[in-house]
Amino acid sequence: MLFSRRLMLGLAIAGTMAGALAFPAQAEGPTEIDLFFPVPVDGKLARDMGTLIKEFNETHPAIKATAVYTGSYDDTLIKTRASIKAGKPPAAVIMSANFLLDMQIENELTNLDSLIAADGTSKDQFLGQFFPALQGNAVISRSVYGVPFHNSTPLLYINADQAKEAGLDPNKPPQTWAELTDWAKKLTKREGDKVTRWGIAIPCAYDYCGWMMETLTMTNGGRYYNEEFGGEVYYDTPSMQGALTWWNDLIAKHKVHPPGATPGPAVSTSFISGNAAMMMLSTGSLTYVRDNAKFAYKVAFIPRNVRNAVPIGGASLIIPAGLEADKQKAAWTLIKWMTSPEKSAWWSRATGYFAPNMAAYKTPDMVDFLSKNPDAKTAVEQLDVAKPWFATYKTVPVRKTLEDEVMLVLNGKKQPKEALVAAQKAADELLKPYNAETALKLP
Amino acid sequence: MSLAEPTALPVTTSVSPRLHILKRFTTGFKASLPAYLLLLPSLVFLALFTYGAMGRVLIDALYQRATPKAPVRFVGLDNIGAVLADSAFTGAVVNNLIYAVGTAIPSIALALLFALALSRTNAVTSVLRAALFLPVLIPMVAASALFLFIFLPNVGLLDYYIGRLLPVLPNWLGDSDIALYAIMIITIWKNAGYYMLFFLAGLQAVPEDVMEAAHLDGAGPFQRLRHIILPELKPTFLFVTVIATLNAVTQVDHVFVLTQGGPSNATNLVLFYIYQQAVEHYDIGKASAATLLTLAALMGLTALSFRTMANREGGA
Repeated sequence: MLFSRRLMLGLAIAGTMAGALAFPAQAEGPTEIDLFFPVPVDGKLARDMGTLIKEFNETHPAIKATAVYTGSYDDTLIKTRASIKAGKPPAAVIMSANFLLDMQIENELTNLDSLIAADGTSKDQFLGQFFPALQGNAVISRSVYGVPFHNSTPLLYINADQAKEAGLDPNKPPQTWAELTDWAKKLTKREGDKVTRWGIAIPCAYDYCGWMMETLTMTNGGRYYNEEFGGEVYYDTPSMQGALTWWNDLIAKHKVHPPGATPGPAVSTSFISGNAAMMMLSTGSLTYVRDNAKFAYKVAFIPRNVRNAVPIGGASLIIPAGLEADKQKAAWTLIKWMTSPEKSAWWSRATGYFAPNMAAYKTPDMVDFLSKNPDAKTAVEQLDVAKPWFATYKTVPVRKTLEDEVMLVLNGKKQPKEALVAAQKAADELLKPYNAETALKLP
Repeated sequence: MSLAEPTALPVTTSVSPRLHILKRFTTGFKASLPAYLLLLPSLVFLALFTYGAMGRVLIDALYQRATPKAPVRFVGLDNIGAVLADSAFTGAVVNNLIYAVGTAIPSIALALLFALALSRTNAVTSVLRAALFLPVLIPMVAASALFLFIFLPNVGLLDYYIGRLLPVLPNWLGDSDIALYAIMIITIWKNAGYYMLFFLAGLQAVPEDVMEAAHLDGAGPFQRLRHIILPELKPTFLFVTVIATLNAVTQVDHVFVLTQGGPSNATNLVLFYIYQQAVEHYDIGKASAATLLTLAALMGLTALSFRTMANREGGA
C-alpha cells in the first residue's frame, strides 16, 4: 500500500496546521492588543486597571485588550524595549513621561500626528484637552508622541497637630525657603544631641532624588535641562548650587533634616509615624497619607526662594513603533477612551494622581470628590506654575550622574560646588554622542 | 591460553594504520551513537539557551554605535577597554571583592558553628535547624522587602531597638559608608543556614571509630575539632567556598530592591553594573564586554577549584 493509514493521518494534520498558519484566526475575531502598565505607587492599581480594561472590552466588541502588568516605570521601559527588539511590541504602554524623548531619539515611538489628523481634529484641539504643563513631555519637535494619563507634582506635607503644638498656624503654611527653615527649626525636637523628631524630610533615592533636585532648582529660579533640546543639562549653575547648598544646610548647619539619602517610602513612613513633622513628596502619595495618617495634616505648595515652580511627574500613554495598522488603530481607540474625562477622573480618584484631562474636573463625581477632599485640589492648583519633567538623551544615566553626587553631599563627603562640577562633567560626557550628531554636526 | 587468540592477531596487523584509525573511529562512534542520541535533547537546549547566549554575548561585545542613530560597527576590544577604564566598573569590582570576602567568611564560620552545635539529632536540634534554615526558603526579593522596613532610618525595627544605645541613629541604607555592610548582613543571614546543611552532611562522614579512639586517647573537644573534624570537612569547605563566591557574584536581588547600587555607587556590584549598562545606558556592547570579563573570572575560579578538588582526590 502506497499510502498507509498513518501517513494519511499525518498529512491531514500537517495540512490543518499549514492552514492555521496561513490564515490566522484573528482575521475573523476581534483585534487583540496588549497594554503594558506599571504600578509605580502603593495601592491596588492592578485591580483598578483590570476593572478599567474589562469595561473597555465590554463597550468595544471589535477589540480585545489585555492589560499586562510590567513592574515599575523602569521595568516597563525595559520590557517594552525587549518586546520591540523581539519584533512583537505591545499596542500601547503607560510610560513614565520623561522617557518619551529618549525613546523618540532611539526611534521606538509612533508619531501620533497622523492618528489625530485621521480623527478630523487639529493638534491644538487635541492637546488643548490637557493641562498646558503636561504638554512639554508629550510633544517632541512639534509632533505628539504621548497622551498624558496620570500625573503628579511634588507637594509639601505638614503634620498640622505638631505644627499647632509648636505654636505655628498650619493654615498659613511656609511660602519661602526662609519660612520653611524657620518652621523646620521650631518643629525639630532634641534630647541632648539626639534628634527625636525631624523638622523636615526630603527623599533622595535614584529617580526621586533627581526629581527633588529639579523641584528645588526650579523654586530657586533655575532650570534642570534644556526643555527644547535633549543634549544639555544645567548642573553647574548658581540656581542648582543654591538649591543643593540649602538642602545640605538643613542637614549639616540647621540639623533639622535626617542625614544621608533617604528613600521615598522611608520618608512617608517617618511622616506617618510622627517622626518627621514635614516632608516633600509626590501627590501620588496623597491617597496613602489620607488613609494612614492618624493626625490632621495639610498639603501646600513647595516653598520658593526665587519663584514658585515645580516639575510634573507621572506617565503618558504611548504606541511603540513597528506595529501593524489594525493594532495601531485599536490602540488609538483604547488610548482615547482611557484619557476621556470620565475615565480620567475615575482613575484619579482611585490612585491619587491628578487627572490630566481638564474636563475631568467638571464631571459631577469629581466635583463631589473634591468638595469632600479639598487637599486633592492643591496639586491641581499648583499646575499653574508647573513645567515639564527633565528628559534628555539617556535620561536615566544623565540623571544618575547628578544623584550620585547629591548623595555624597547629603552624606557630608563633598561640598555642593565640587559635587555639581563633577556631575556636570560626567553628564556632558554621556551627552557627547548625541550632541555630535545634532548641535555639533555642522555643515 | 585459548585457541582463538593467535588467529585473531594477524587480522589486526594486516590492516593499514590509516584504515585502522578510521575503523576504530566508526566503531567507536557506532558504539556511542545511542549515548549521543540520548544527550541530543539536552544538547539542543544547552546550545539554544547557554552556548547560544554566550556566543551572542561574545559577538555583541565586539560591536558599538558611535552616535545614537549610527549603525553598529565592529570595534574589536574597544568595549572591553571602555569597561576597564570606567571607574564605576572598577568600583563595582572592589565592592564585589569586599562583599564576597565579607559574606563568605562570616556565613561559613556561622554555618560551621551551627552545624557543630546541632550535629546530634533530637527534637530541640531539629526545631533549631528548621529555624536556621528558614531564611533559605524566603525568596531574596521578599527578604529584601522585609529588610527595607527593618533598616528604615529612625522608625525601623533596628533603629527602634539599637537606637536607644547609640548617640546618632545610622541611616543604614542611605549612608555610603554603611550601606554595603547592611547589604552584607542580609546575605549572611540568608546563606548561613544553607551552608549549615552541607556541614551537617559533612559531619556525618566523620568516622565514628576515629572519634572514639581520639576520645579514649584523651583528646579534648578542641583537639578533636582541630585534628579530626576540620581535616575531614576539607572537601565540604572547598565546595561551600565555591558556592559562596558564586553567590556573591550572581545574587544581586537585594541590591536591586534596597539600594539600586547607591548611594553614590557604594553598593554597586558587578552584575548590577552589567544590568545598568544594558538597561539604563542602553549600551549592549559595554554590557556584553563586562559580562565577558565576569564570565572569564568565574570560569577561572571554577577551573581552579575543580583542579584543587581533583588534586585532593588524586592524592588521597
